Formats: sequence, structure tokens, C-alpha cells
Amino acid sequence: MTALRPLILVVDDDPQIHRFLAPALEAAGYEPVRADTAAAGLADIANRPPDAVILDLGLPDMDGKAALQRARAFYDGPVLILSARDREMEKIEALDLGAVDYVEKPFHVGELLARLRAALRQRLSHQGARAVVHAGDVEIDLVKRLVLRAGEPVRLSPREYELLARLVEAGGRVVTHRQLLTAVWGPANVDDVQYLRVFVGHLRQKLETDPAAPRFLVTDSGVGYRFVAD
Amino acid sequence: MAPGVGKTYEMLAAGRRRKLEGLDVAIGVVETHGRRETEALIDGLQVLPRSPIEYRGRQLMEFDLDGALRRRPSLLLVDEYAHTNAPGSRHPKRWQDVEELLAAGIDVDTTLNVQHLESLVDVVWKITGVRVRETVPDSALSAADEIEMVDITPKELLERLHAGKVYMAETARLASNHFFKPENLTALREMALRRAAQTVDDQLVGAMRRQGIEGPWAAGERILVLVAGDAMASSLVRAGRRLADQMGGPWVVAHVERPNQPPGDNQATRWLNEALKLAEQLGGSTVVLTGDDLPGAVLDYAGRNNVTQIIIGRSRERLWRTVAGRSLAQALLRRSDGAALHFVSGGAPDTPREPQAHPVAERGWRRWAGYVGGLLLVAIATGVAFVLDRYSTGGDLAMIFLASVLISGLAYGFRPALVASVLAMLSYNYFFLEPRFSLQIGHAADVFTFTIFFAVAAASGWLTGRVRDQARLASRRAAAVTALLAASRRLSGAANQEETARVLAEQASAAAGGRAAVLLPIDQDLVQVASAPGPVILTTAEMAAAHWAWERSEAAGAGTGTLPQLGWIFRPLVGVRGRAGVAGVEANAFAALGEERLVAAMLDQGAVALERAQLAAATVEHESLRRSDKLRAALLNSISHDLRTPLSTVLGSATTLIDYGATLKPEVSSDLLISIREEAERLSRYVGDLLDMTRLEGGALRTRTEWTDARDVLGVAIQRVERRLGQRRLTRDFPADLSVVQIDPGLLEQAVVNVLENAIAYSPDASTIDVAAYEDRSSVLISIEDEGPGIPRADIERIFEKFRRLEEPSDRMSNDRNKGAGLGLSIAKGFVEAMGGRIAAASPLLDGRGTRVLISLPKPPGGAAAAAKPSDP
Repeated sequence: MTALRPLILVVDDDPQIHRFLAPALEAAGYEPVRADTAAAGLADIANRPPDAVILDLGLPDMDGKAALQRARAFYDGPVLILSARDREMEKIEALDLGAVDYVEKPFHVGELLARLRAALRQRLSHQGARAVVHAGDVEIDLVKRLVLRAGEPVRLSPREYELLARLVEAGGRVVTHRQLLTAVWGPANVDDVQYLRVFVGHLRQKLETDPAAPRFLVTDSGVGYRFVAD
Repeated sequence: MAPGVGKTYEMLAAGRRRKLEGLDVAIGVVETHGRRETEALIDGLQVLPRSPIEYRGRQLMEFDLDGALRRRPSLLLVDEYAHTNAPGSRHPKRWQDVEELLAAGIDVDTTLNVQHLESLVDVVWKITGVRVRETVPDSALSAADEIEMVDITPKELLERLHAGKVYMAETARLASNHFFKPENLTALREMALRRAAQTVDDQLVGAMRRQGIEGPWAAGERILVLVAGDAMASSLVRAGRRLADQMGGPWVVAHVERPNQPPGDNQATRWLNEALKLAEQLGGSTVVLTGDDLPGAVLDYAGRNNVTQIIIGRSRERLWRTVAGRSLAQALLRRSDGAALHFVSGGAPDTPREPQAHPVAERGWRRWAGYVGGLLLVAIATGVAFVLDRYSTGGDLAMIFLASVLISGLAYGFRPALVASVLAMLSYNYFFLEPRFSLQIGHAADVFTFTIFFAVAAASGWLTGRVRDQARLASRRAAAVTALLAASRRLSGAANQEETARVLAEQASAAAGGRAAVLLPIDQDLVQVASAPGPVILTTAEMAAAHWAWERSEAAGAGTGTLPQLGWIFRPLVGVRGRAGVAGVEANAFAALGEERLVAAMLDQGAVALERAQLAAATVEHESLRRSDKLRAALLNSISHDLRTPLSTVLGSATTLIDYGATLKPEVSSDLLISIREEAERLSRYVGDLLDMTRLEGGALRTRTEWTDARDVLGVAIQRVERRLGQRRLTRDFPADLSVVQIDPGLLEQAVVNVLENAIAYSPDASTIDVAAYEDRSSVLISIEDEGPGIPRADIERIFEKFRRLEEPSDRMSNDRNKGAGLGLSIAKGFVEAMGGRIAAASPLLDGRGTRVLISLPKPPGGAAAAAKPSDP
């Protein structure tokens, strides 16, 4: 029974968070494990590697970023960041360090669980799945490198396709500016965020019903972009 | 060039031409002397009204400088450049008014007769026998952009004179001096033409230099003028200026101070000071050299500074030195190589001087005191000699008189000693040499003795006097150096601007021997911040001079060109980075040259010290700004953290219930509901804290006091926190009888709740919190003790500060959710103090743990409390 329930480690120093997150995770079919400090969390990861980690950045004993870095030495599962709005930089740095996504406090439990599901799905898709993604009337086939809108092929430049593919592959998770720029333009262009604006604009023109109010290619202000599929 | 040639006419005509060109031309002041053709030219030009100045019961209409500055024309016509303003005007001379106008950006046309030029005064006097009093410094003429020579032939001028076209009052005065003689006029004309030509030449040379044109420049002539404290010092300075003008080189006026020479008397000092001041006015620089060997010192300076021309004076009074073969001129001639020597002989009689503005009464009295002292000493010696005369013979008595002369010399200097030696000789002769009581000398031997005695007395008096004068000079120098050192030490020790200003005022006052004040710029205004000795109240005129000194960065007041009738002199304190303030010193304090220089040196030090203090103040201000920024950041941090944390729980719990409510066990659901309520309460408390703080900070806190039993308030407060106690025990220790106090029960309740919450937040579970109330003679006291980790001694004062919590190490936050925003204790303090009470903390209490917060509320004096005391608690 327990083997079927994914193990989720929650690292947060606020007992009130555990108080509602534990029952919520249980109700959603996960097995929550509680850690109040970064040190305890790291010990838990080492002893019993969880399927995913929910990590608060504002921990009393260690910078959340530093904790993530240490965990990465022996853990490659998805890490979801809990953060406050005023810790923007830390959040981005954590994502660049390999956290899969983030949720800002205060948050709806439903939103957190949706991000958690996406993160876990991503882990499963590594084994090779979901080659075709649907979003509204748009269909993206990553194997055939084909993009269709209402059944008609959409012409994309190689760069536009690369960018879209990176976002689709992330499976609904946020991809930071730096990650996108490194993947599509190469490491020399990590600071040229304006490229991204232009190309995402092009993609929206070609794929979105209303490019001014995008539904699939969503901006995470100051952090990056995410592709929201059906 | 001379009165009557038509300068005013020419100026007005030029002004009209400029007006036709579209320029804003106004007439500041013009003297038409009733000439009709001149008056006709005024038509169509605006004439600024003059301002009345009261002087000795008469009202003089003077040029209104401030009016002109307010009017701000592009071109102002101001007649009679050399005019002397009525006493009480801002500047003594009109050319200084013009200087201010130019500085304010107003172009000025003016008129000037050549004989009013400062450097030509001696020459004019020699030619015409007239000593011109109204002079204009040559630098004022050099500053002119254009010079227009108004020239007519002497013959024509004389014809105009005879035709009555020349202003008569002035004419009458000058005519009496045979001024209007053809040869005089010719000479003046030649001077004017040469002067104008020279200016044109200078402008040409300047233009060529600017354009980098090669040319035979004057080969680096440098002129050195030697002056001493005598009547011809000023003439030498003027001669120096003329030579410098002709040669086109820089010039220096030097005075040599000789350590082994007695300092000159007041008159000599004055002559010297005037000459040095004149040199600066005429555009030369000044230097005081020191050295026993006068020619040596001069030639050393000349050699080091490439001096090519040396001007020295040959005054008649020093003729005996030439006879003695010690002429400076000869020595210079013998020892100098390269430099040309110029001799200026004879002393031009000095201009009749105004009575000295600041007579040095004390010193004068002291000088006469020396002679009186010498007289008294000789009288005492005579008395002693009478007594001794009964027991001894005449030869010894001479020694007593000799002693009196020596003492005079030591005590009063060499002049009184010489007088004393004469008196001693007369007294000795009269009273003790046979025949007694006559000045005759009976024995031939006595004549010899007497002569020797006189020679010895005079020589020893002179010698001791010189020794004393030298000692005094040396000690004065030493005192000056000591004073400077002391000032420097004290100034460097001053902590802030105000202290620096105070030290500076004290030191300047001590050095100058009079009152002193220091003014600093505060909020765009010059404010007197220090004075010594004792308070000084500056008059409006003195403040005006201070402002002048500040705005222009030049000295104003006594002895300067601005408001010289004042008793104070104000000097700008100019440091490395610019003006730091203004120092004023009472002018009669400036007696000797050395002291004035000492004060100036001291003020320079002071300026640098002030500047340093101002920089330090700016740094502190910057630091406090930085700290207030930090505090604001802390506030923002606190609000974002303390609002968001409970909100996260509320939102998270609520959405859990909404999404999964059906699947949750009933006890889990109710726990989530409880956590929502708790966190909402926590938010509410926090918002309440912020509101309380805002009320305290904004001064909007109103206390409604009433007779209150503190025990009631404590009971309510404890009830309010009871639910949050958890495993902690709370004990109450209230007396059966407690005085009522006049306080605001609402504020006290909140203060106690805040202290209790703090105690709960910082103490472990299962510990005890003790609440006690008691009273002493003057107050009712409330004590709240916890068993928490305690507060380090160094921080005990700071726990009542706002957002104190934020600066704590995070590991001390044992149970974070109980903690407020770090405002609780700060608010408690604010409330208690608003009611006239006090709050203090003590920690640690026992075994290095525990904190006690003590609130004391004052009991009202008298029986009101007793009357209102409840009979049974």
C-alpha cells in the first residue's frame, strides 16, 4: 500500500504549514514526511529518498539555496520551492540550481498539488512518454517535430520550434530565462532576455487565439515561462 | 586727465549711443555741475534715485548701490570713479561700489582724472604740489575692459576755464594750489596719455600671448621693495608699483624683522602695516623676512626668487648709519650680484591722516608708565642713597643709582632706561656731589668720576633695555608659536562643529586680546554659534559685514575696504574645500603686526578644523540616513513576513478543506478550522499592533485616565492571553489592598498583554510565568517574570526598540508562531510612558535565565488616592 503512495518530504520551519499540508497531501494520495529544519530535511533525503521535496527557502538554519545544492549531491528527484514574493532572486537561483518549480506563499493547496503532479509526471516521462501534447486547438508532436493548429501545420523557424519544444518538454513547469537561453541560444547569451521576449511574442502570434492574453505560453514575471497544456 | 575736459559729457554721449543700439542703459550717478549741454544728454536716460545718508546732521545724497543692484541695467553710468562715499555707506569709496556692480554682472562706464591713480599720487604731488586724497588703486583701472582717453589741449582747457565752463567749487580749491598752470596740465596730460598707452600695450601683449605669438617679452623682471617702519614706506611701495608697471613684472614688498632689534613703536608698526596693506591693494605681494643680517636676508631672498630689481629708501634719519659705514645701500651694493638697485630718497610728507581709527590706549599708557617707573626708581635710589650717605662715602652711592638704571632697563626697556640714567646723573650730582644741592661740580676729580658714571649708566641702561626688549620679542614669538600649537591641539580635539567654533573663538580672542565671534552657515543663513569671552551680540552693521565676508570670501569691517567704520573685522574662514564660516575679531585688538598675523594663522587652522568637523557631521548624517533606510527595510520585511505567514496558513487550511473536505477525518477538519481561527487572531493582533504603533508615532494617542485598580486590569489581560499559555503555568501574586492609580485602563491592559505575550513567546513549555502587583510610597508596581533564556546584558536597553526581534539570532526564536512583529514591547513602553509611568526590564534573574519586566505607575500625591481606594478588593 505504502509503496504505491509517493513519498513527499515537506521542509518548512512553520508548524502551521505542516498542520494543513500533511492532511492535504494525504488526502491527495501522497505520504507526507515532515522536516522542520534544512538539516533534518537533508538527513531524511539521505535516509529515505522521497519521490519529491517541497522546500521552504526561508529556513532558520540554512539558506534554502544552500540546502538545495547540498541535496543535489546525492538526490536527483524533483524539488519544489516554497518562497515569499520578496525573495525573487533566491527563487530564480534555486530554479537555475535545478529546482523544478516554485509556489509563492500564501498559496492555494490545489495549486501546490498541481505543480507537484507536474513535477512527478516529468520524472515519469523521462522513461519516454507523451510525445504529443495538446493545448486547445494546438497539437505539438515532439517526435515528428510537427506543430499543428486546427489540423493545419504551423510554420515555425528552427529557433521558435526549439523554444517551444523546451517549454513543452517541461510539462507545465516553469523554465527560467537562463535555462531557455542556454538551451536555445547557447551559454554565451544567458543575459539576452530580450531575445526571449521577441521569440515568445512570435510563438504567441502563431499559436494563441488572443496573443495579448496568452493561455498556453504563460509568463512568470521575472522568472521565466511555462507551457500550460490541457 | 583733469577737471573740465568733458569726461561726464563723453560718458553720457557714449551711453546714449549704446541705448540706441538697444542696450538697457541707466544712470547711477552723474554730476553735471549745472552745465547745460551735459544736462541735455541726460534726457531719455533713466536716472536712478539716490539714497539719503545722514552725516553730522546733514543729509548727503549718495549713489544708491542696492537700488542699482535691484534695477540691474545692462550698462550703468557712474560718474566720478574716485569719489569718497559719505561715512556710513557700505564702501568708503565709489570704486568699491563699482567693483560690486561688476561682480553682480552689471557693466559700468565711469570717469576718472589721472591724478587720482594711487601709484601716481607722489608724482602728481611733486609736479603740482597738490596731494590728492581721493585715490583709486591701479588694479581697479587695470580691470577696465576699455579705456577712453578724454583729451583736450591745456590751452583749450584754460580757455574753457576762463569761459566758466568748469565746475567752480573744485576749481577754486585747485586753483589756489596753482593747479591749473599750463605746465601742470601738460604734465598731467602726458601722464594720462602714457597711462592709456600702457593699458593699450598690456591688452595687445595679452592678446598676443593668448594667441601664442612669439615675441620679445619683458625678460622676467622681478621687483623687490624693501620697507621699514618709517614715513617713506608707502612711497616706496608706490614706486615699486610704478617700476613693476613699466617692466611688466611681478613685485614683492618685503620687510625684514631682526630678532636682535627692538620692535618699533606704534607709529612705526602703523607705517609698516599701512605700507604692506597698500602693497596688497596695488596688486603686489608681501613677505616678512627674518634675519639678523639685514642685507644677507634680503639678498638671500632675492637670490632664491630671481629678483632683478631692488628698491630701497634712503631716509635722512638713518644718515648716521651711512657715516658709521653701515649703510644698507652700501652693503647691498657690495654684496649683491645681478640685481639692479634703485634708491628712492627723501620722505614725501605723508598725507594728513585721519585720527587713528583704533588708538591703542593701553599700550600708550604703558609706554609712559615706563618713564614714570624709571623716575620712581631713581627717586627711590635717591632716598636709599640719603640713608646710606650717613654711613658711607660718596663712591658707593653711585652704585645705587646705577642699580636703579639697570632695573629701569630690565623693567621698561631701553628708552626709559636712558631717561632714567639722565635723571640718576642729575639727582646724583644735585644731592650728593659737592657742592650739594647744586648741579655744579666742585672737584676736578668728581668731574671725571661723574662722566664715567654717566657713561656706564647710559651704556648699562641701554644694554639691559635691549636685553629686555629682545627677551620680550622672543617670548612674544614663543607665545605666538605656543598659542598656535595650543590652538591646533585643541582644534584637533574638538568633537563637532560647535565645539570647534567655540575653541576657535576662545583662541582667537586670547591671541588678539579682545572679543571674538565665529559664525557658521546654518540653513542658508549665517548664524553666530560661538563667541569669547562671554556672549557677544553683533549689531546689524556688524552682521552685514559678516555676511559680506561670507559672500565675497574677503575680509570686511575695520581696516578693510568694506564698512571700515566698524569696531570689528570679519574674515572668511576658507579651508581646503571652500568657505567654512566667518570669524570676527574686535579690531582694537590688532595692535602689533605679529598679533594680526598670529590671529590670521589661527583662523586658517580654524577653517580647516571646521571643515573637518563639517565633513564629520555630514558623514554622521549620512550614517543616520542609512540606518533609517535600514529600519524602513526592516519594517517592510517584518510586515511582509508577519502578514504572510498567518495568511499562508489560513489560505492553505481553507483550500485544503474546500478541495479535500469530504475525504478528511472529522478531527483533522476541525483542527484545520482551529488553525484558521488562531492565525486570523494572530493577524488581527498584528494589525492592532501596527495601528497602536501608528497612533504612538503620529502623536494621535489620547489617554482617558480614570481611577483604576491595577488588579482588575491584570485580571482582564491574563484572561486575554490564557489560551496561548499552552503548558505554561501562570501565578498571580496580588496584595489584598492596593492603591488605585489615575491611568488609562485600556492602555495599561494592552501594555500588560504585550508584555505577557512576549513572556510566552520567549519561555519554554511547562515553565512558569509570575505576575505580581505591589506598591511602594510613590508608585504601584506590576512585575511579570518568565523563565525564558534571558536577555544579554548588552541588549537589555534595546528590547523596547521597534522591530527589535529582527536583529536577534534566529536560533533564539524557540516558538516562532507566538512571536509578534517585534512591536509589542515597544508599544508597551509607549503606552506606559504616555500615562506617566515607567517600564524597565531586568535579566537574567536566576541561573542565567529569566526576564523580569517591571511597570511602575505613579501614585498621585496627597489623599485623593486614599479617598478613592476601594474598601475591599
